Amino acid sequence: MIRYYLLVMGIFLALGLIPRSHRLMNALAAGNGLLHLVMSCIALLMLDLPVKLGASLYLDHLNLYVELITALGFSAAAFYARGYTDSLMETGELDPKNLKTFYLAFNLLLVTSTVALFSDNLALFWIFAELTTVCAAMLVAILSARENIDAALKYVFIVSGAMLFAFLGLVFLFTLSEQTLGEGTLNWTVLAVHASEFSPALLLASFTFTFIGFGAKAGVAPFHTWLPDAYARAPSVSAILSGLMQNLGIYGIIRMYALLRESSAAPQASSILIAAGVFSIALASFSMLQQRNLKRLIAFSSVEHMGLLLIGIGVGTPLALFWVLYYMLIHVLVKETLLFSAGILHRQYRSNMRENMKDVFKLQPRAAWCLILGSIAIVGMPPFPLFPAKFFILLESAAISPYLTLAVLFMLILAAASFANFLLKAFSKVTAEEENEKEEHRHITGTSAGTGGAVKENSTGKAAYEKSRLPGQYLVKNGMRVPTIFMLALALALGFYFPDSLKDLLDAIILELGYV
Amino acid sequence: MIDPLFLEGIIKVLFVFVLISAGLIISTRNLSSALTTYTIQSFLLAAVSFLLYLIDGKGQLLLLACLTLASKVILIPYFVSRIEEKIKIGRDLHFAYLEPTPSLLLSIGLILLSYTFLSRVFEGLPLSKLFFFGAVIGLSLTLMGMLVMFSRKKVVTKALGYLSMENGVLMFGLFVTELPFIIEVLIILDLIILVLLTTILAVGMDSSIEEYRQKFRELQIWTGVESR
Repeated sequence: MIRYYLLVMGIFLALGLIPRSHRLMNALAAGNGLLHLVMSCIALLMLDLPVKLGASLYLDHLNLYVELITALGFSAAAFYARGYTDSLMETGELDPKNLKTFYLAFNLLLVTSTVALFSDNLALFWIFAELTTVCAAMLVAILSARENIDAALKYVFIVSGAMLFAFLGLVFLFTLSEQTLGEGTLNWTVLAVHASEFSPALLLASFTFTFIGFGAKAGVAPFHTWLPDAYARAPSVSAILSGLMQNLGIYGIIRMYALLRESSAAPQASSILIAAGVFSIALASFSMLQQRNLKRLIAFSSVEHMGLLLIGIGVGTPLALFWVLYYMLIHVLVKETLLFSAGILHRQYRSNMRENMKDVFKLQPRAAWCLILGSIAIVGMPPFPLFPAKFFILLESAAISPYLTLAVLFMLILAAASFANFLLKAFSKVTAEEENEKEEHRHITGTSAGTGGAVKENSTGKAAYEKSRLPGQYLVKNGMRVPTIFMLALALALGFYFPDSLKDLLDAIILELGYV
Repeated sequence: MIDPLFLEGIIKVLFVFVLISAGLIISTRNLSSALTTYTIQSFLLAAVSFLLYLIDGKGQLLLLACLTLASKVILIPYFVSRIEEKIKIGRDLHFAYLEPTPSLLLSIGLILLSYTFLSRVFEGLPLSKLFFFGAVIGLSLTLMGMLVMFSRKKVVTKALGYLSMENGVLMFGLFVTELPFIIEVLIILDLIILVLLTTILAVGMDSSIEEYRQKFRELQIWTGVESR
């Protein structure tokens, strides 16, 4: 089945190379995202899950859920990409020749991540996850500036290098299955059935190695070093997509942990996950504190959230997993809001640095408000749905050690403080009106004294001065504004109303992973 | 039919050469000799796989040997050498954290580490001595490749480090278990795509070509303010 999917998508992508107009290319990318969204919705509603189609296509609630999140993120990013890439081309940062490559990598990324999610065979998952790294790196390098290429190469080398360790882990797993079942297999469904018969020591070794690989994919410290660079130097759209790929890593870790849960090595695996989680949160929150680069701030916040997810998985109770899964969805919604608004601000100021931003409310009021609300959401303030998710994960972690909970809570507060610190300093810089007028006056008298014709010079001089003082408002296209607000509104709506269908879906995932 | 014991002896000799090649990649400062070393290493891997075929008689091993020969001894080195010509840089003199001598010492430590680790993990497995050693060499090759990636600054050398890591993984897989052939093919495909991408990007990074310098200068708007 996967072969047919790849064939169809291959034809689709080949057709996507034909159009020359940006509008058409963008429409194809958005259509691709929406198609995947609709298809996974249909599969979720119509099929009797879990179901195995063909040799290696496996559909269950977990991978459909993650695919749903991914497709949603892609569709929003596709709508946003149009205005954003247009603006990049206008300023000459993006070579119009590279636009085709951009959309090719964009579509390819969705296709490869879909195959990775739906393949039952862990080796196939590994290979397609590797290919997503390649596509995402292409998106990061698309501006072909030295900084971008540097970030892309860092991304490829760190993630792919770590993924080779994951492959060693899979070799261990294969040996294990060969030893127990007589014939080696890497099919997750088969492994899940027999996991309790495997030797715990080897299973733990296999888990550790795969964790290195998938953890690097997810951006878990200490393998996170590619992430701030990829976020800060890549165009916003590419950053969003690399962010979506982090979920793929978490997905792999959830699957591997579900295998291990049955064996006696589970406590050790849990402690690995929790240790890595705490380390990620600590490292991220301390790096965020004095961060002056907006996108780096968002990137480290991603590392922090991945750490919290790991703690949730490591705690290993059904309740914790439930909120981890919910967290994955909300995190994508809020993170996209933040990155979309950061992208708009970057277009306005041509910089992500705090000191270059001023008069934000005058120039980009909507982006500023989205950023503020998004920050409130990402630190987990109550009306937003990250609050219950964080709350319950922390509550469950208290069962392991209350000190752990306290330490994590402290670091979460630190992260919230750094968001507040950044926003206050970046957004409070306003050129005062009086000062303006005084300066204007001086400027005008200065020019008029030189030429003599005071009345005539007055109006033109003022306009020219205005132009030089304010960097000129960047006109945000609707295509960029709508997805930003949509994602934020969706997150807010989920904070007030928890749909029953979502609850059923998450319950079904937990049941399928054998947690209850 | 050749005596299997004799073949095993040859394989053991090849192990030594594989380790030497990994050490050379760590320490050499000359890009083209690093590439030659990688080619020889891949050839050794193909030879090991061929000898295993002679012992076992499994057709899959022969196919693997041919595949390794075609992709890693011919295709990838050819491509990398084209890039090396293009960037007009012959030597990689800069090391990020470790100079060659400490990293060679460290790699001895890594070999010991993988030996002790694997001897504990594989306690319960019915693995013959030769195969156990193969796994140890594979794992240490992986770790040594990682060392190259860490300690080098030039992208081309980093890519060679990644490639030698991958050789290690393949070797590990070869001796520990028998992976389905399709997986091996897919890994090599993945490798080729990755090498294509990184080396094309490397032209941008390592290049001493004036055209690229110019381009970077034009894009100062992006680089100047952004960095840290």
